[in-house]
Amino acid sequence: MNWDQLELSPRIIAAVRRAKLQSVREVVCLSSLDLQTLTGLSLSDVQQLLTAAATACRRHPPVTALQLQRGEYPSIESGLRLSVGCPVLDQLLRGGLPAGVITELSGESGAGKTQLALQLCLSVQYPAEHGGLNSGALYICTEDSFPIKRLQQLIREQPSLRSDVPPSLISSLHFSNNIYIEHTADLGSLQVCLSRRAPLLLAQGLVRLLVVDSVAALFRSEFQADDWLERNRQLLTFSSALHRLGQEFTTPVLCINQSFVLQRVPCSGFGLGQSGDGSADTAASPGDSDPWRPEQHPSQVRSGVCSPSAPRRPRCCCLEGGHQRSPEL
Amino acid sequence: MIRVLPSDCEYFQSSRSFKSPRDNWTVVHRSTLELSPVVEAGLSQQEALQVLQAARTDAAGGGVTALELLQKEAEIKSIVTFCSHLDKALRGGIPVGKTTELCGAPGVGKTQLCLQLAVDVQVPQCFGGVEGHVIYVDTEGSFLLQRVVDMAAAAVRHCSLLAEDEEQRVAMETFTVETILSNIYMVRCRDYEELLAELHLLPDFLSERPKVRLLVIDSVASPFQQLFDELSQRTRLLNSLAQRLIAMATSHHIAVVITNKMTTRLRSGQSQLVPALGENWGHAPTIRLLLHWEGPRRLVTIFKSPGHMDATVQYQITADGFRDTDQSEQPQSKRRHTQVDQSAASC
Repeated sequence: MNWDQLELSPRIIAAVRRAKLQSVREVVCLSSLDLQTLTGLSLSDVQQLLTAAATACRRHPPVTALQLQRGEYPSIESGLRLSVGCPVLDQLLRGGLPAGVITELSGESGAGKTQLALQLCLSVQYPAEHGGLNSGALYICTEDSFPIKRLQQLIREQPSLRSDVPPSLISSLHFSNNIYIEHTADLGSLQVCLSRRAPLLLAQGLVRLLVVDSVAALFRSEFQADDWLERNRQLLTFSSALHRLGQEFTTPVLCINQSFVLQRVPCSGFGLGQSGDGSADTAASPGDSDPWRPEQHPSQVRSGVCSPSAPRRPRCCCLEGGHQRSPEL
Repeated sequence: MIRVLPSDCEYFQSSRSFKSPRDNWTVVHRSTLELSPVVEAGLSQQEALQVLQAARTDAAGGGVTALELLQKEAEIKSIVTFCSHLDKALRGGIPVGKTTELCGAPGVGKTQLCLQLAVDVQVPQCFGGVEGHVIYVDTEGSFLLQRVVDMAAAAVRHCSLLAEDEEQRVAMETFTVETILSNIYMVRCRDYEELLAELHLLPDFLSERPKVRLLVIDSVASPFQQLFDELSQRTRLLNSLAQRLIAMATSHHIAVVITNKMTTRLRSGQSQLVPALGENWGHAPTIRLLLHWEGPRRLVTIFKSPGHMDATVQYQITADGFRDTDQSEQPQSKRRHTQVDQSAASC
């Protein structure tokens, strides 16, 4: 740690070096009394040291919401949204998935979660004026193998799904080149993927969408009921890694979770997003006066997830929360 | 600097680099048990006692009577939440000068209430508001600008419908969505070290901007959940954080609103949802509100407050923000309404 970078008098810097303090982060976690004892400096010197260390730690100074609205700080609030490809869902999500936050997609088995995730992997590749982010996607599979045939079918059907996009643009995009698929069968390889490969792809701008399909599989299978403490730990590490990636690279993150219709049992063993009443798919999304009613929006799945032209058998997946969510206990 | 000392004590001042009365307070702290640091400077015991006396009066600043405090509290306004039942139960709203904690499960509305308060704190005084600014510390990335704009627009509409006299109409000219957005300061912290750094710098920020009346930290639990392995360090850091928040609330006359998460506590085979960060943290905030679901309804319960009775009130989240439920549609809630009335009346 180069203490000379801080604007402090040499006397204070010398005292800090003598006390063998390693970093500004360490300084910030100590109280002023502890620092006085460690360094032998007076209270006002310690206050100066804390102010300098805190300013160095700080990511950015407070900005006003008006400045954010004017787009003066795109790294903090980019205002970018990833369209889902279905105008009805986009309207519900007020544009699409927000960049920089984690969105959880939960539903029962066979509801269509993987379908929606595949569709997002295609819609991210369109330019911003068509709701995309002009980049590819990283798809992390934790249970079944990646549905490559289905992806190819979706690619072929893109022109009929995305009638709003000029066909020349659609044919110019090589969709399958920009989807990076990782199979992680256990937590160890998932962590390696998130700590090494994902940041590399994101930093190079090759990828602007992270999909984890599914979160529940790994955490459900690797832990027994007694290991809940260790599971918590791993879950928190995982969710904070996802948060960091999302915020640092202004990327939407989609986590697919599995939900079960449960009795009103406060703490039950299976799907992850429960915290109380266990029902993860009927919560109203904040910001809407009408709670999201799955039956009103049946989706047809042939060419992709979209609102139907004719009534069909209801096949719905529920977008949980809509804005930000980390799988938490 | 101490002004009333005889000249030889000034030698003591310069030799020990005590620069401010606060440094002398350290002298008092350390020297209550032993006068040796003072005696080392070559002063007699008499002179040493004079230094300590002067330091004490400088640092203590005199006391305040309870009557003065009562008068001060009567002037203090509260920040309305726009849910009239909750405001009634809290006797005005979220109090300025105290720390309030909002706990609840994910998705129940804690961030919505925080965003609503960030808009409501700016309501002009002629409408019964506090007309203050707000600093919003976001640790989860849940500050969504679009939502703030919605709530600001709804608040402006609400107040312009209420504007009756000339003073209120004039106030509405400066109470617009743009001015509301320009008075919300936002800072994002990714982990607990950044949060602590921000809190170190806040007192200076608040002194430079005396119009700030609200500090929101959403949420205080997430950064500290990373410290699951070092619980003693977590407790120590949380304690000092709590003290600093209380000090800021009283000295800068602001309302501090913090959001907490829920965690599951297992006790003899039974599991229960309790606020996170432990029981130690429960002593830190003055008022604790629990937001929870009961079937499809959202309820908020006051479960810790020195000045209010425990009460439960129903609310809803609409496109406009945090609001009352419509009484005519919910016959059960009418019963709850009278319960709140009774509790408010008996306070």
